[in-house]
Amino acid sequence: MIYKIAHKEFIETLRDRRFFVAALIVGGLLLVSLALGWQHSRQIERQHEAAAEMTRKQWLSQGEKAPHSAAHYGVYAFKPQMPLAFVDRGVEAYTGVAVWLEAHKQNDFRYRSAADQTALARFGELTAATVLQILLPLLIILLAFNAFAGERESGTLRQVLSLGVSAKNLAFGKVLGLTGVLALLLVPAVLIGAVALMLNGDEAGEPFNAARFALLVIGYLLYLSVFVFVSLAVSARASSSRFALLVLLGFWITSCLIVPRAATDIARRIYPTASALEFAAQMENDIKNGTDGHNPSDKRLADLKNEAMQQYGVSRLEDLPVNFDGIALQAGEDFGNQVFDEHYGNLWNQFERQDKVRQLAAVLAPQLAASSLSRGLAGTDFAQHRDFAIAAENHRRLLIRTINEDTMKNARYGDTKYVASANLWEKVPEFQYAAPETAAILKKQSGGILVLFGWFVVSILLMIWATARMRV
Amino acid sequence: MLIHIIKNEWRNLRADKTLWLVAGLFAVSVAYAMFNGLAWTNFQRQTIAEAAAEDSERYDALKKQIVEYERSAPEKLSRFSDPRDPAAAGRNIGQKYAAMSPAPLASLSIGQSDLLPYYFKISTRSQQTFTANDELENPTNLLAGRFDVAFVVIYLLPLLILVLSYNFLSGEREAGTLPMLLAQPISLRSVVLGKIALRFAVVTVLALGFHPLVFFLIGGGKLLTAEGALLGAVLWAAAIVAYIAFWFALAIAVNAFNWKSATNAIALAAVWLLFVILIPSLTGVLVTSVYPVPSRVEMIGAMRDASSDASARGSQILAKYTEDHPELVQGEYDPNDAAARTYAVQETVDREVQPILAIYDEQLQKQQNLANNLRFLSPAMVMQEALNDISGTGNARYRHFLAQVKIFHAEWQNYFIPRVFQKARVTAATYDAAPRFVWQEENSPAVARRVLFGLLGIIAFTLAAAAFGFSAIRRYSAIGG
Amino acid sequence: MLKAINLTKNYNGATALDDLNLNINAGEVFCLLGANGAGKTTTINLFLDFIAPDGGKALIKGFDVAEQPLETKKYLAYIPEQVNLYKNLSGLENLEYFSALAGQDRYTKEDLLGFFDEVGLRREAAENRVSTYSKGMRQKVGIAIALAKRAEALLLDEPTSGLDPKASNEFSELLKKLSGRGCAVLMATHDLFRAKESGTRVGIMRHGRLITELSTDEIGHADLERIYLENMRN
Repeated sequence: MIYKIAHKEFIETLRDRRFFVAALIVGGLLLVSLALGWQHSRQIERQHEAAAEMTRKQWLSQGEKAPHSAAHYGVYAFKPQMPLAFVDRGVEAYTGVAVWLEAHKQNDFRYRSAADQTALARFGELTAATVLQILLPLLIILLAFNAFAGERESGTLRQVLSLGVSAKNLAFGKVLGLTGVLALLLVPAVLIGAVALMLNGDEAGEPFNAARFALLVIGYLLYLSVFVFVSLAVSARASSSRFALLVLLGFWITSCLIVPRAATDIARRIYPTASALEFAAQMENDIKNGTDGHNPSDKRLADLKNEAMQQYGVSRLEDLPVNFDGIALQAGEDFGNQVFDEHYGNLWNQFERQDKVRQLAAVLAPQLAASSLSRGLAGTDFAQHRDFAIAAENHRRLLIRTINEDTMKNARYGDTKYVASANLWEKVPEFQYAAPETAAILKKQSGGILVLFGWFVVSILLMIWATARMRV
Repeated sequence: MLIHIIKNEWRNLRADKTLWLVAGLFAVSVAYAMFNGLAWTNFQRQTIAEAAAEDSERYDALKKQIVEYERSAPEKLSRFSDPRDPAAAGRNIGQKYAAMSPAPLASLSIGQSDLLPYYFKISTRSQQTFTANDELENPTNLLAGRFDVAFVVIYLLPLLILVLSYNFLSGEREAGTLPMLLAQPISLRSVVLGKIALRFAVVTVLALGFHPLVFFLIGGGKLLTAEGALLGAVLWAAAIVAYIAFWFALAIAVNAFNWKSATNAIALAAVWLLFVILIPSLTGVLVTSVYPVPSRVEMIGAMRDASSDASARGSQILAKYTEDHPELVQGEYDPNDAAARTYAVQETVDREVQPILAIYDEQLQKQQNLANNLRFLSPAMVMQEALNDISGTGNARYRHFLAQVKIFHAEWQNYFIPRVFQKARVTAATYDAAPRFVWQEENSPAVARRVLFGLLGIIAFTLAAAAFGFSAIRRYSAIGG
Repeated sequence: MLKAINLTKNYNGATALDDLNLNINAGEVFCLLGANGAGKTTTINLFLDFIAPDGGKALIKGFDVAEQPLETKKYLAYIPEQVNLYKNLSGLENLEYFSALAGQDRYTKEDLLGFFDEVGLRREAAENRVSTYSKGMRQKVGIAIALAKRAEALLLDEPTSGLDPKASNEFSELLKKLSGRGCAVLMATHDLFRAKESGTRVGIMRHGRLITELSTDEIGHADLERIYLENMRN
């Protein structure tokens, strides 16, 4: 029975030329955006690999050099492309592409690629994620808004129901028929996506992450089915197909346009962040005067001297078995690192809280849940940017420590002319970054996943409820 | 006659509860958007004020320090923090802010102002050391975009118009009142005119009604007395009215097709999607692929190569530099002067990387030009450009700012670098006479010309749609089919 | 008052109205009879300029409908099978609007309520929204519009179908009242009884042609039915 209904819906939709054209356009856009995304992703990946090689080469070929000067020269860490970034570029355009790892300072990422574009970028990039999150739901609404209302207006609904078909069977038949139509668009996209991902993986030397890809597909299917169920529910209850269409468009606008932006501004209001100016001033102040304001840097230095002399039982810095300059530099670093950890930690926690507000607002707008999950699985959300930033910062700390330890061991106290040998640079390992595991990502996304799943369940129940009380 | 139609339409609209709901939501959106925009510009103004305060406090402290150090200098004083050292002054401790304060109407359209920096801390270092510093912002916020008035206007206003007018004729036909209406001695065109005129008035009031509130109440009346603000307000209103007219003309054209109301709604939603989402993002793809901006990642590598090369040849470069700039050296020059060498090397590096950096500006400029030409493909793109321009939050004003920063940076360097070479002691007077950045506002008639030219595009679209609609409506059938 | 001269209309090659000649004078009630698709509604739509003729002319008070549609609409009122009004407005507001569009915008509220009295609608109902009206009430508002407009010609398209006998009877009485005031009436109907009762003349149409014209004075109810069926048969 359900199959028969589904079959009729499927054929009917395909024969409607307007819907056929609309579906063709959306399907075409999906494939084009996948191809563009893939090409873009590969290009960036290559650039960043080349740049990483270059920065390593520059670091290694410093020759004999004063170690602290090398620490100031530093290296750059470039954000790698995540294998699934071609589906969803997420926040990539707004994070900056590289960070300079140098002595004394945790730097911000620089060169947001959006700043190297015209304001058109603010209309949104054409990525597979855009098509899946924004355009496909609209197509579903167009395909489904008159599923019941249209049949009611043309009188076929009374006939079908008079034959003894249950409303529930009719509804699920329509769901199945619609699924068939959507499958014509989605199956090729999923296959192409999988192939592209495998090719990307080869390039990046990473194994094909089938689980991650499957989760992404499941997430989008959940999201899209919400629109299927809601559309059918509204169509069953609306007084006319016109009214059903207006209600559904209203839902779409709320979910895809209004709530995401409104939630952003509300999140900024609830969890405000300092200006860059204030942020830098506070860090500078903490480093200079100590985090509690009663531990200025010169006092810290004096304490450090006493401590070192006590430890080695000497009364002059010159008599220390290690170079005090190196100790002082590293102590400065260690103190700075505490300050950075505190300030960047607070700032980034605040950002993540803002993202949590957005996940919560998904209760009103399923698009927010889908986009959050999509970015998370694609590895292009803020949390994973942060993860990379922390990894880069840890590398900076390792690098500086290695350099300072050389000064401690090999330089004489007060010797400003000391140069390290050319093989010191090799002692700093090359920066390697391992992206977080899927399980960790899912844990971060749990709020959004819960809301998305909630939408799924509620929308099914809504459809069952609405069709049981369908207007005939 | 028209007045009767308008009056009757008003009665009909008034009686429709969903329209009240939609109009109410829209009005709330406008008000909320204004509130948001004001919060952001206040944040910017406050930051700029803090920067200025920090500047003057720091300068006062430096001058005090000079007096103190002249009396008795601390025994172990790094030259990087000695306020009397010209290198330290120009490069580190004496840095000054150059800020672009928000334009009078900035709160209406946040535009690019959340993405592009609005102040720099100028030093004698290379320009790219400070121009790459951004405001702190959650990248997800930047991605989502802000809920400002420009968003409400560009995205939501057309939807309000579509809800109000998608069935303004088809609905009458479906309700069967159109034959009754047309049995009266009035033409269909006057009916259309009357219906649209009323809706136009309602939408215009809803869209612009709150603006005076911002201009007078919240801004304390100061907004309109600011230079260029009145012109901006007029342009702002003109742009919105033109955009409203465009969407109404489109509604007339679609209604003229004799379709069912549901079909009209789909057609108009599709057109909205096309103009507001698809064409802009496809244009974005086109613009960036025709004039791709090379990766900044490559730039970083090239700059580092240039600078390590130059540093290795430091003494050589310094010798050459002093030869080229004899005016900088009084008497004999000190080949071991590290500060002097730094600048000589920096100058060489700047010169070498200049062609690389120029590519970014050039490509971006080309992108901008192409985008400017292609914006006529969609009124939404014209509006974005126009509203950002009027609010001073677009790329144009930012480039204007960068150009001034460039000049100021050169002034700053010319003030401090010769002092480094001459090892001239910095005094309180030196600090007092240091260059100050004074923001020069964009030439508002030029902005107005740019905006009006864009609006011509919208008007052309509007006239074309309206002409089509009014001519097609002759064939409109009162009885359907 | 209402005159058709060789009026012809084709739809996609099929003839809907073939060379119709008709002349209805003031005070006359002309009833058009015929099966569905015989061309009755087409005739009325041509007089309303809702469709354009392919040949011939429709004249109202001597003005060609196709050439001067707005002028001719000053004199006529139209009552379709279903008088559709703005359902969110009251009957009074509807009446006020339509008569204002017809150029009668000087009526006071009392004047307008007078029309309600005249067509037999309760004054209390005048302030209610039309969405609460029965079909008979809406048809009466249609007559009130015609009265308020001071129409000289009335075009009725099956105005009584679906009305209960009492409402139908009241409607006929109103029609008589209007024609008594010198209004020319063209009514398309399936109701032979009503046609005999309220018509002065009847015309029987078939396949777009007016094949028989009779005066109702000369025939009885039974005759009319017999003549109608005879005409339908051959």
